[in-house]
Amino acid sequence: MLPDQILFYVLGALAVGASLLVIGQKNPIHSVLWLIASFAGLSGLYILLDAPFVAVIQIIIYAGAIMVLFLFVVMLLNAGHEDTGEDEARPVSVHRSAIRFGALLSGVLVVELVWALVSAGTLGGVFGSTATLPPAVSSVRTIGRALFTDYAFAFEVTSILILVAMVGAVVLARREATHPAQATDTGARLPGPAEPALRVEVGDEQAERVF
Amino acid sequence: MTPILVAQIVLLLFVFFMLLNSAAIMVYVERKVAALLQQRMGPTLVGPRGLLQPLADVIKLMFKEELRPKAADAFLFTLAPIISVTAAFAAFAVVPFGAETTFFGLLPHPISLQVADVNVAVLVIFAVASMGVYGIVLAGWSSNSKYSLLGGLRSSAQMISYELSYGLALGAVLLLGNSMSLTDLVNAQAGAWFGILPRWYIFLQPVGFAIFFIAGIAETNRAPFDFPEAEQELVAGYHTEYSSMRFSMFFMAEYINMVTVSAVATDLFLGGWHGPWLPLSLGWIWFLAKVGFLLFFYVWMRWTLPRYRYDQLMDFGWKVLLPIAVINLLATAAGVLYFAA
Repeated sequence: MLPDQILFYVLGALAVGASLLVIGQKNPIHSVLWLIASFAGLSGLYILLDAPFVAVIQIIIYAGAIMVLFLFVVMLLNAGHEDTGEDEARPVSVHRSAIRFGALLSGVLVVELVWALVSAGTLGGVFGSTATLPPAVSSVRTIGRALFTDYAFAFEVTSILILVAMVGAVVLARREATHPAQATDTGARLPGPAEPALRVEVGDEQAERVF
Repeated sequence: MTPILVAQIVLLLFVFFMLLNSAAIMVYVERKVAALLQQRMGPTLVGPRGLLQPLADVIKLMFKEELRPKAADAFLFTLAPIISVTAAFAAFAVVPFGAETTFFGLLPHPISLQVADVNVAVLVIFAVASMGVYGIVLAGWSSNSKYSLLGGLRSSAQMISYELSYGLALGAVLLLGNSMSLTDLVNAQAGAWFGILPRWYIFLQPVGFAIFFIAGIAETNRAPFDFPEAEQELVAGYHTEYSSMRFSMFFMAEYINMVTVSAVATDLFLGGWHGPWLPLSLGWIWFLAKVGFLLFFYVWMRWTLPRYRYDQLMDFGWKVLLPIAVINLLATAAGVLYFAA
């Protein structure tokens, strides 16, 4: 086997295996860490595809920024382990419909994946060399140009989607803050990831749990 | 093995060795400068002028008992300092510290003085720095102690907040240099304006440099932004439960991160190895001098400014530094467009 292929299988196994381990963990912190490992595998695959820029961005955005935020939230909510008790208390019917919906979604995903793999096979093969890609796919200039010309619409729509989500989060946070107890303290602050008032509170909770 | 490969391996070992030593040197410098600023003597007993003090510190640390709290997450507790120190070393891999050289004609073609010449070097530094956060966050969490947890939480919030400004300040320089390779960016700063003023980006980007350095201090958790380990409130923050070599790994990571931030700032804003009087082959002397000055500045800041309050830190990061960084980036982009047209 070519070194490239060996690397592909190692990194692919890392990405898939780590993803499976994400859902197999009892402790959400461990899940987050396995997700980071999975992202690292994906990033390696991007490098194999001659796209170092995308690989590094994957690390910065997903493994770096977003996962730190995940970790932060998990630590803040102090989700020590899964709340199985609450799940069992729920009516079974909810479970069943949820399972059906999930099964439907995964069915769609499988169809999509098969379709993608088959069509990729006719285009040049999944393991095909990067010859089918334009030679300068790694260059920042090419990616930037494509993003702001060919994919400008998708790019802008995604930006607006993220903006809406952000505004929504701010609105929700503000509504909570107008409770009489907290109104004076948190009302005026930016929704930065750290809110001193909230943090102290959670810190005490943690202290109670641990000791 | 080809001569080039040998040279690369030698460079790698050299950088590793120098970074290890830089931590020891910085410990000595920190103590001496702190003493100077507080009108004390500092270390004087071990070796001439206390020069062997770092060695004594290392020996002391090695012989301390390695403790681990019973309720700690054993695996992550061990992993956290390793992540910290690995990220600190890895970031320097893409930092060039001298002009291209053939080592007195030993090599068939010149190589640049760095471990790996990556064409997205600036982003790699950024990525590795964002991985370093996990060391601190996990240390805080896995210790299973409230002070450690608070330190870890603070560190993740602080890093997220200041990484944005850090990245935007970098972006402005990338626009000026039209490249993401640090070697290219340094070479773009060769020469002088009007024969006097060096063409360093600090003169085009004074605001960018200030933002970069302030955010850099916050990223490395140094005073006045050392909230993750704020002694007065959190005992020792994220490394409260650490001792012996595990503790010293965090300690080392902090100093190596300082060196890396200073080296990157030198490459991006202070013209790297370019400077008057010295030939290009001796440019590394300029590089060392500039990094040394920035490191002194780091220590100077620490012993001059008191620690901020936590909400002040967040307000400053989000309401002052970030808007200035965005405006700086937009103004730079407009300027580049205007002068290119």
